[in-house]
Amino acid sequence: MRQNKLFHSSSFRLAVFYAAMLTASVLILFGVTYWFARDYAARDENNEIDVEYASILDEVGSDGIAKLPAIIDSHMRLRKDVKGVYLLQDPQGHKITGNIPAMAPILGPTTLERPIDRQTLQIRAHGYRLQNGDYLLVGQDTATLRQMNELILRTFAVEIVITLILAGLGTAIVGMTVLKRVDTVNRTARAIMAGDLSQRVPVRGTQDEFDELAAGMNAMLDRIEDLMRSMRQVSNDIAHDLRTPLTRLRQRLEHAKRHDHTAAELQEVLAHSIRQVDSILETFGALLRIAQIEAGGRVSGKRMIDISILLASIVDDFSPAAEDRGLKLDSDVGKGLQVSADPELLTQMVANLVDNAIRYCPPGSKISVKANQVGDSLELAVCDTGPGIPPQEREKVLRPFYRLESSRTTEGSGLGLSLVAAIAKRHEARLSLGDNDPGLKVSVLFPMAA
Amino acid sequence: MRILVVEDDSETAGYLTGGLEEEGHAVSWSRAGRDGLFLAMTENFDLLIIDRMLPELDGLTLVKTLRAARIETPILFLTTMSGIDDRVTGLNAGGDDYLVKPFAFSELVARVRALSRRPRGTTIDTQFRVADLELDVVKHVVKRAGQEIQLQPREYRLLEYLMRHAGQVVTRTMLLDNVWIYHFDPRTNLVKSHLSRLRTKIDKGFTPELIHTVRGAGYCLRAPE
Repeated sequence: MRQNKLFHSSSFRLAVFYAAMLTASVLILFGVTYWFARDYAARDENNEIDVEYASILDEVGSDGIAKLPAIIDSHMRLRKDVKGVYLLQDPQGHKITGNIPAMAPILGPTTLERPIDRQTLQIRAHGYRLQNGDYLLVGQDTATLRQMNELILRTFAVEIVITLILAGLGTAIVGMTVLKRVDTVNRTARAIMAGDLSQRVPVRGTQDEFDELAAGMNAMLDRIEDLMRSMRQVSNDIAHDLRTPLTRLRQRLEHAKRHDHTAAELQEVLAHSIRQVDSILETFGALLRIAQIEAGGRVSGKRMIDISILLASIVDDFSPAAEDRGLKLDSDVGKGLQVSADPELLTQMVANLVDNAIRYCPPGSKISVKANQVGDSLELAVCDTGPGIPPQEREKVLRPFYRLESSRTTEGSGLGLSLVAAIAKRHEARLSLGDNDPGLKVSVLFPMAA
Repeated sequence: MRILVVEDDSETAGYLTGGLEEEGHAVSWSRAGRDGLFLAMTENFDLLIIDRMLPELDGLTLVKTLRAARIETPILFLTTMSGIDDRVTGLNAGGDDYLVKPFAFSELVARVRALSRRPRGTTIDTQFRVADLELDVVKHVVKRAGQEIQLQPREYRLLEYLMRHAGQVVTRTMLLDNVWIYHFDPRTNLVKSHLSRLRTKIDKGFTPELIHTVRGAGYCLRAPE
């Protein structure tokens, strides 16, 4: 199984490919070397023959043509070790001297096979026609060349065996180590599929590609686990938050059914029940809306808008209601501030924040809507002088259904800030809750160059 | 009024037809998009109430087909989808108004009335008069008993909407949709605060009172009988 897997793995195939390339390059290298070496040796041999012939002619020049057989004999003796080949024939083809039998004259360079000293040798030779009509053949055994060839071939054979062994080993090692690391990733994936979301791919700390892959996967898994956890949390919260009002509704209806009531009393019960159902439906509506915003997909509504005008109009809309509750709502917004946003979502975001401030601030408080440029971001803030939110609770209030102890009695779904958070995220804006000394400051930082 | 309801959920359809008949309308009902289209093309209705999600032929396509056939009957869309895009596509397809399920029956009745009175065609009124209250859209002037009244921009738009729908009940959501262009319902009761200010300016010191609160439904601007 494991073996099978090794052969099927892409890392193994890659290693085999590299081994094949290595072998091929060794072969080519050898071929080229061999060819050049051979060529060089052959030329060298021919050269030697030419030199030998020239030296014979030289001696003939000084001693006279009559001395030629003696000159050849002396050369023959001198060059016995390197297996020099000589043959001198008269024009009729009779051998005068030499160490090979008479033959039909061949002019120019040639290769022959002739018996010398009881062994047949391969000879490279050159035939010359002398001025007196005699035929002279000067040659040399090709043993040196042959030996060199043999040596090269043998070296190559050893080389190729070593190359193959090393390549094979390399392939196996690379294949196995890579496979082993891929296997760990796979094992983690399988464990996660089996339901254990806490599993992570081990990181070795070598900072190689596998570590990077593992770190990337782990970050992804962290995010997924996070999402799953919050989703579970949200569905728990939904179940809990909707059960309470539904239980109350049921009790009310059951009570009405059990007792005799006048028509007017029943009307009252029904009206109250409808209000309760409406508030449940409203919670569902808010959840749907958050889901819709979070799901994204609707970037179409995003365009450059003049946030100064938008904020001024929201402040105008809410001021009378704020005044009615003894609050002062004003704005501190620079002129002509532009931001790329969906105007409807942005309006709802600011409206939600102002809504919250109006709802939670005691009479006499001051609420202000601010916007100004901070570096290359646009800061939009809704500040109030109300009770504020304790620092340790600030992160939590952004969660769906989370409500402060102090506000449990106030009517509300606990989804307002979640909606704000979803809208901010949709605009790649940073939402933060801070201290307004006293009170709460909710600020949203929009990237300007978007 | 003759009203056609195209709705696949029989319970919702029953609730709609029953309620509208009680209001004195003649109501026809078809369950599927194709039947609805056939009825709307062949008979004369004063209003069509069409669900967005229908079997066979969806509401959007139905309305597009009707409008392409130059049938200009007012159309009220019903939907469970409250997304901005859904509303925009619905209105672009040729719907006249849009109501998100679940809704209060009083809301439906108010919108049906508003649609039935909406002028067909393009005649635009520029001057409105209810009792001794006058509003001139072109001059942007409001007068009560010949006396000019200064209004804030929002108060002016609120009054204009009420004058255009004089004698009809307008709901809080209708006002939010059309005066504030808020397609969500803020918890803070904006409408109430603005309306009480408008009332102070329009009705205080004058008789009779013209702006009335209709309990459980909305508001109505009307002259006494």
